[in-house]
Amino acid sequence: MPLLLKQIAPPEVPLEADNITPDRITGQTPAGVEKLTVMHGNETRRIGDFFRVTGQYDGVINLQGDHLGRVKFIGARMSRGVIRVDGDVGEHLGAGMSGGAILISGNAADWVGPEMSGGRIEIRGNAGHMTGSAYRGADMGMTGGEIIIHGNARNEVGNAMRNGLIAIAGNSGDFTGVNMLAGSIFVSGELGIRTGAGMKRGSVISLKDAELLPTFDYSCTYQPGYLTLYFRYLTGLGLEIDDERVRGPYKRYCGDSVEMNRGEILLYSG
Amino acid sequence: MSGENVKIVENATCTFCGCVCDDMVLTVDLDQKRITKAKNACILGRAWYAEHYIEEDAPAAMIDGKPASIDEAVEEAAKTLVDAKFPITYGLSDTTCEAQKQAVAIADIIKGSIDTTTSVCHGPSGIAFQGVGESTMTLGEVKNRADLVIYWGGNPAESHPRHFGRYAVTAKGMFTPRGKKDRTVVVVDVRKTPSVPAANQFIQVKPGKDFELLWALRALVKNRKISPNIEEITGVSLETIQALVDKMKNCRYGALFFGMGLTMTRGRHFNSGALIALATDLNEYTHFVAKPVRGHGNVTGADNVMSWQTGYPFGVNFSRGFPRFNPGEFTTVDLLAKKDVDAALIIASDPASNFPQAAIDHLAGIPVVSLDTKATMTSKLAHVAFRTATYGINTAGTVYRMDDVPITLRKAFDSPFPTDEEILTAIKKRVRALKFPKNQAGDKVPPGRASQKEHWKH
Repeated sequence: MPLLLKQIAPPEVPLEADNITPDRITGQTPAGVEKLTVMHGNETRRIGDFFRVTGQYDGVINLQGDHLGRVKFIGARMSRGVIRVDGDVGEHLGAGMSGGAILISGNAADWVGPEMSGGRIEIRGNAGHMTGSAYRGADMGMTGGEIIIHGNARNEVGNAMRNGLIAIAGNSGDFTGVNMLAGSIFVSGELGIRTGAGMKRGSVISLKDAELLPTFDYSCTYQPGYLTLYFRYLTGLGLEIDDERVRGPYKRYCGDSVEMNRGEILLYSG
Repeated sequence: MSGENVKIVENATCTFCGCVCDDMVLTVDLDQKRITKAKNACILGRAWYAEHYIEEDAPAAMIDGKPASIDEAVEEAAKTLVDAKFPITYGLSDTTCEAQKQAVAIADIIKGSIDTTTSVCHGPSGIAFQGVGESTMTLGEVKNRADLVIYWGGNPAESHPRHFGRYAVTAKGMFTPRGKKDRTVVVVDVRKTPSVPAANQFIQVKPGKDFELLWALRALVKNRKISPNIEEITGVSLETIQALVDKMKNCRYGALFFGMGLTMTRGRHFNSGALIALATDLNEYTHFVAKPVRGHGNVTGADNVMSWQTGYPFGVNFSRGFPRFNPGEFTTVDLLAKKDVDAALIIASDPASNFPQAAIDHLAGIPVVSLDTKATMTSKLAHVAFRTATYGINTAGTVYRMDDVPITLRKAFDSPFPTDEEILTAIKKRVRALKFPKNQAGDKVPPGRASQKEHWKH
């Protein structure tokens, strides 16, 4: 039986709930969980002021409510367990998480899984800007784990990401994979402009054609073998990819030539 | 002009734009309380001085639109700010550094967010400086040394009229004794602006393609290949780009000045980041610097004071008791449009007249404390509104020029209204007393720190 946190009062100002993680909740009774602190603007409050906690934690935390879009830092720094959210979530979802899984039925705001190193985040709706990216001033974004978005994502997906996988079933915004160091970004829909600007290594794969920067150079059209395995894995995660696209061929562009020129952008050209 | 009671103020400083020209000679009619002549001022500076008048009859403070004493208004403002759970302090670019410092202290005590007008102008450059670094200089260096000056996405002939004459184009310096003849000036913009006639070369880039052009320049500076259809993408031919690269690599001292054509178009901080990175790349070959051309008189001071006090230039939040920087989350337009904030302290700025409608709507629904020299849309909707003296004309203090050089202001004549610094210091004292009620002394250090001091004594 999962631990259920049902929102009873909408926060007046954003709520920072970095205590809503399996790591903090393990071994706590519902009353104990209600006593954990949250930041309501600049005042320290209790989880119980905003959520009614029932059930027993068995590895799953379930959040329900209509105003979860104002709750930030859900699952921040978590290392295990599962958080299931019925509804939207606020910024910094799973910030710096290293393990476990977060499942969101609605939309997520900006900063999904920034600087995460492991685990999986799955969003059924759309995500905001800066998915899997580095915080401002940091040199490295996500270093591991997976982010699956079934809707669209906005700008700067995987900014300075170092490893891991971001898969987007819809469209992505501008500067997808900007300053990327390594890792993979897969986009089923349209890419925004300036994909991979400043990327050193890593792969951005898209099933649609896209306008690329003048510093990306066409190298060849081919059928990369590893994509078949990749797509099989992604379909297992619930993404729909038809057989034609699995087979290819794909145009390969390498760049960014202002950097090391070792990144690749693969665009379907069937 | 009454003529008799006239005062001349030498070396006064104009605080209209980021040039902060400090060679004004002002003629002040003390009877009329008007500046009748501003020698050396540009067209904007002349208007700034000529249109300055004091509305003697206006109340210095108002609560809900009714005149109130300054003490009552300070008390009400302090209560409003202390009661708020997520307040924002915004504005700050048209006041002195001394006032800005007090505003940061207030934001710290009330554990709110603090943001300046930088977030709606060169904020993206602030993000870029943090991400890329800055090859910086003073305008004096440009005047004395620069033999290649490039203006990108800005129109200083109309926005900063004396930038050309005092610093960068016709100014005669140590190694540029013939002024314009010793310099090459390039303007890059999406259309022919009035700045173009001052330049030796005008490069017209397709709107929204600055990043692509900058990226192509970076690649060519590094001797890398770029795609052959560059002209189709940017509207600038490969030969022109290559010639500019050669010019940049072969100059003695190059300076890139950039405006909001880069920071407020699609790509924002990446556009300014690309330009700053280009300057950094060029330092492999010669000396190259880059500088944003800042708008408001002391917006650079706001960045400096914020960075000095909090570590970050704008978009800072103190909710957790320590500063956190996150543009997009703690910047004013975003906070208002998302309806996150529950009170606002607006200093020397008028967001109610120039923010997006969603932000204005929320601002109208929350208690606002405003400080401004004139009645504005913001002061009209404010719960507590203070009328203050104009910096640079009625108050002395410190401002920063766009190249981060501090300049001292000289007062021309007195104003019946208090300064921003006086009001903010009074609010700070009351806010501190309300927040730390056990420490009634008000201005003294909060109890935590006092006990630590005691601890050190032993």
